[in-house]
Amino acid sequence: MNRLNQLPTLRINPSEKLTLSYQGKTFQGVAGDTVATALFAGGVRIFARSLKYHRPRGLYSLDGECSNTCMDVNGIPNVRTENTLLKNGMTVKAQNVVGSANRDWLAFIDKLDWMMPAGFYYKTMHKPAAMWPVAMKRIRKAAGLGVISADYQMKGNYDERYLKAEVTVIGGGAAGMSAALAAAESGQRVVLLESRPHLGGGFDYRVTTGADGKPLYQRARELAAKVEQTANIRVFKHTSVVGSYTNNLITAFQVGGPDDVFCERYLEIRSESVVVASGCIERPLVFDNNERPGVMQVGCAHRLARTWGLLPGNQAVFSVGHDLGLEAAVDLFDLGLQISCVADAREDGQNPELLLALAQRKIPLLKGWVATKAHGGKRIEKATLATLDGTIKRQFAGDLLVASAGLTPVTGPFILAGAKLSYDSHTGYFLPTELPAKMFPAGRLTGINDPAAIEASGRLAGLKAAVAAGAGMESAVVDAQAVLAALPGPERGCKLVTAPVKGRKSFICFDEDATIKNIKQAIKQGFDVPELIKRFTSAGTGPGQGGIPGHNLPLYVAKYTASINTPIPTTMRPPLVPTFIATYAGYNHHMFKRTPMHDDQLKDGGIFRNIGVWQRARYFSEDFDCKEEILNVRNNVGMLDGSTLGKFRIHGPDALKALQRVYVSDMSKVKPGRIKYSAMCNEDGCVIDDGVVVKLGENDYYFTTSTGRAGQTIEWIRYHTRYDGWDFNLVNLTDAMGVINLSGPNARKVLGKVVDIDLSNEAFPFSGYRELLIQDTIFVRAMRLGFVGELSYELHVPSSYMKAVWGMLKEAGAEFGIRNFGVEAQNVLRMEKCHIILGQESEQRTNLLDVGLGFLWDRKKTDAKTVGAVALHQAEKDPGRLKLVGIRMEDDDRPARDGALIVDNKVRGYVATMRKSFTTGQAVGMALVESQLANVGTRLEIFEDECEGVRLYARVVQMPFYDPKGERMKN
Amino acid sequence: MSQIKRESPVRFGVSPKAAVVRDNWTVALEYDDESRGPWIVDLAHKIRWDLQDGNIGELSACDLAVPPAPGQSVLSGSTLINRMNRIQASIWHLGAETPPLPDGTGYTDTSESTAFVALFGPKVFQLAEKLTNLDFMDPAKAAPFLLQGPFCHVPCQIVTLQKSADGSGGFLLACSRGYSDSMVHAIFEAGAEFDLRPAGENRFNGWIEGLQG
Repeated sequence: MNRLNQLPTLRINPSEKLTLSYQGKTFQGVAGDTVATALFAGGVRIFARSLKYHRPRGLYSLDGECSNTCMDVNGIPNVRTENTLLKNGMTVKAQNVVGSANRDWLAFIDKLDWMMPAGFYYKTMHKPAAMWPVAMKRIRKAAGLGVISADYQMKGNYDERYLKAEVTVIGGGAAGMSAALAAAESGQRVVLLESRPHLGGGFDYRVTTGADGKPLYQRARELAAKVEQTANIRVFKHTSVVGSYTNNLITAFQVGGPDDVFCERYLEIRSESVVVASGCIERPLVFDNNERPGVMQVGCAHRLARTWGLLPGNQAVFSVGHDLGLEAAVDLFDLGLQISCVADAREDGQNPELLLALAQRKIPLLKGWVATKAHGGKRIEKATLATLDGTIKRQFAGDLLVASAGLTPVTGPFILAGAKLSYDSHTGYFLPTELPAKMFPAGRLTGINDPAAIEASGRLAGLKAAVAAGAGMESAVVDAQAVLAALPGPERGCKLVTAPVKGRKSFICFDEDATIKNIKQAIKQGFDVPELIKRFTSAGTGPGQGGIPGHNLPLYVAKYTASINTPIPTTMRPPLVPTFIATYAGYNHHMFKRTPMHDDQLKDGGIFRNIGVWQRARYFSEDFDCKEEILNVRNNVGMLDGSTLGKFRIHGPDALKALQRVYVSDMSKVKPGRIKYSAMCNEDGCVIDDGVVVKLGENDYYFTTSTGRAGQTIEWIRYHTRYDGWDFNLVNLTDAMGVINLSGPNARKVLGKVVDIDLSNEAFPFSGYRELLIQDTIFVRAMRLGFVGELSYELHVPSSYMKAVWGMLKEAGAEFGIRNFGVEAQNVLRMEKCHIILGQESEQRTNLLDVGLGFLWDRKKTDAKTVGAVALHQAEKDPGRLKLVGIRMEDDDRPARDGALIVDNKVRGYVATMRKSFTTGQAVGMALVESQLANVGTRLEIFEDECEGVRLYARVVQMPFYDPKGERMKN
Repeated sequence: MSQIKRESPVRFGVSPKAAVVRDNWTVALEYDDESRGPWIVDLAHKIRWDLQDGNIGELSACDLAVPPAPGQSVLSGSTLINRMNRIQASIWHLGAETPPLPDGTGYTDTSESTAFVALFGPKVFQLAEKLTNLDFMDPAKAAPFLLQGPFCHVPCQIVTLQKSADGSGGFLLACSRGYSDSMVHAIFEAGAEFDLRPAGENRFNGWIEGLQG
């Protein structure tokens, strides 16, 4: 197909050739083409088949308002090819066809429409019930748009940006650009969003001259240049708005161009005020076969020629309801299109200059006439025109029927922001009557069509938006109002609802194959509200998001029901324009914390798992039972990276009072040089955290929390002291200090080679705390603990020195065979000793007493001083609570899984932790059971998921399982 | 015996062209081909303090008055004080010196707690808006000012030191040390389209000096 390559309005670069493959053939397009226009240039007229009836579908709007041109592009189904810029080497396939788009074996379904009335899916094939699964599969196979593999991996980069602006302008047409320029005069930050790849909107392709004598496209380019040169306006082209929310949060996505580093970019704009200058789309003309390939809207035909240099047909019939239709007829005639006739649904009100232009070109014009039928199978061959009452009909030959009932405003951003729309009988539009705060309409969507008025309304809205955002431009607003008032206002719109047809093949919604007849059927069944009819017939629920039926459906319902009320529009929901889920996902950065020893442990074979926000080395070999790691600690010496522990400093005159409030123990008993282990409870007495506290000085303490609670500790303490007015300060040092747990019978020998203090049991006993310097440089807090049941030192080291100290210990321990042990080995080691881990041996309802930590609770403190004390007093008298017990499996080779249920005829408890103990050779663990089952020797029945009826059995045994006197950790 | 050496949590994956050892830190002074910016500079070795007091608004630190309102910052010489909330301020020393922690109560050295980087140069705020919805360019705020909120979903303290309408300028960012690897990775991924490069302390010093005339 030859292009009109010399037009000044073109948005293509004919010298840059691009190719795509479709149906085994290579099609050539040029830079600036969409996939659809490139195919159209190559002679393709049928792009897809419809959802239900498999009717052929072609170019209709070029703005993605229906699924007519949805195709599979590079393996991605449902790509709106009329909005998708062509890239070299694309592979395109038709979808929803059996065979090809041209020859679809399911096309016969079109003749079976009588079998599928409105709502048939809800009412048929349910009896007999056995038929439904079969029918459902067949229906789903036949319907649907495109197929995607569950394993499909989205390619490309998906970016995101979070913008701030004082003024956001939606729509980059003349009104939007004028609004942006006006707002920018204030110096405020302005963001301009335009859905097409270029600015210009309704001016961009039109050669009609404005009041200044310049063609509109030229004026648009001047405005665009000015906008792009204004430093405080950020322009986002090829960017569709998808959401508009309270407080003027606007969401959008931008399609990347050849020079962009992203395929699509999600935008979230927090704006003080918003101008909506999204313009109008065309209101589809409803007549028989109104979606046949060859039927297209005015803007589609006009832009095909002016933007892409493609004549939309050879011989055309026009059936329009707006001056834009007449303007297009004149212009396309001048570009070489033969025009058989122009029907205008309006009896009067046409622009006299356009009427004269048609007459000069001898183009017949029928006022008060409308298309009633497009004839032809896969392409139209002729059209029937009729008077509005249908009494007189004439047929005109043509391969193109340019059809439009008029315009309809794009009000999606208003609707999403909560604006009320009501029918305006002058323009025939649904217009916002109650505007959301700081949102301003501009341009053609207000009903105006005069080019100067469009610009003036944009300027006024831009100034109002700037003022709403805090600019002092009130006098400029007054001036702009005066200018606009002197220009033509909103024009009377075409009120035609449908052509005089019965409507069996008159489609009100292309995406869902919903016809006028379907709407009538729904109304006859009692649905009288457009919102309900939409759901019953599916009209407006397809990929076009109601772009085709959004205006006509409420008009038709009002007309057909002879409602005395004004038409009620259906609502809209985000996203206004469909896009990829990948775009919403964006970067999806995986943010997690690593300890200073992460890389060293990785080198030593560490296998990491996410634990809360941290990554921790759980294993150091493929043996996930960790036998060697465990036995090395028991018999020799091991090193664990415990840096994830929460670490805090609390200081100030009232620090002790705060500690007394949140810990169950008497914290005044924390002695210098000693650690104190204690726990925190919530108001219900349920234990939420445990750790150790040391005294650094007068009113100065250092304490640890569990890894999982570290992020909440400061808020927890502040919350529980909020009314006291106490003077204390809290500092989170979790990341500041790394922790090395050096454990095993040889731990003292290893540490002794690194530090120069007396480590003897007398000088540094169990539960002792020491501060020391390594090589007179590295300050270390050292604690004698015994979580794993062996001689252990917990060394708190400044994070930047962790690697150095770790290296020293490793070097010093080499002669003893020191090795790393991970979180799983630690888990088994402490379990053998029956030391609990909160969250493992407890859950949300487990209190301090249940897990055997009642000894920590100082009952002499007044209850009001201790969070949870009142509840603990009550719980003490409750015999029905769960109790933590030690259990041993009857079969030592078959430990139960963590979380397995303890049952008889109902659930009696659960296994908290259980492992095969390599130290004892037994399968042992801890369980929370009802108190009646807590006696030593009680036989427990255990149910595991997928046990297929086979139960496991264990007995309650004494705790701990290892070194009951604690001699190993204390000596 | 292992060498006593401090490790920064921030790693750029390239070795500096020039470096100096200071207080056991290896401080990168310059990198090969630092290009024309934007730049990211590791400031792990800079001293940071936390100051808490019920009357913090009446206190001074390093001869600088603590700003009166949360969100305000003050920069003088190489000392930056950021008022965080009713009772707390952070004090960041941006120079080469390592001042001793004052004796007064309320001070805690938090230098080890955070990853600390500077991001500055052309389009740096366009880079930042890919990772956060915090408003660095708020026209109602004059630099320097403190923002506390999520940067790439991680709670951060961020101080805008310089801003201009074209999106250039710079800021300091501190987040929990453990997030350093993830944060740096995210920043470089977001900064790829702007040709973000690691830079050394020399460039940072030049920028800070330039800010103060």
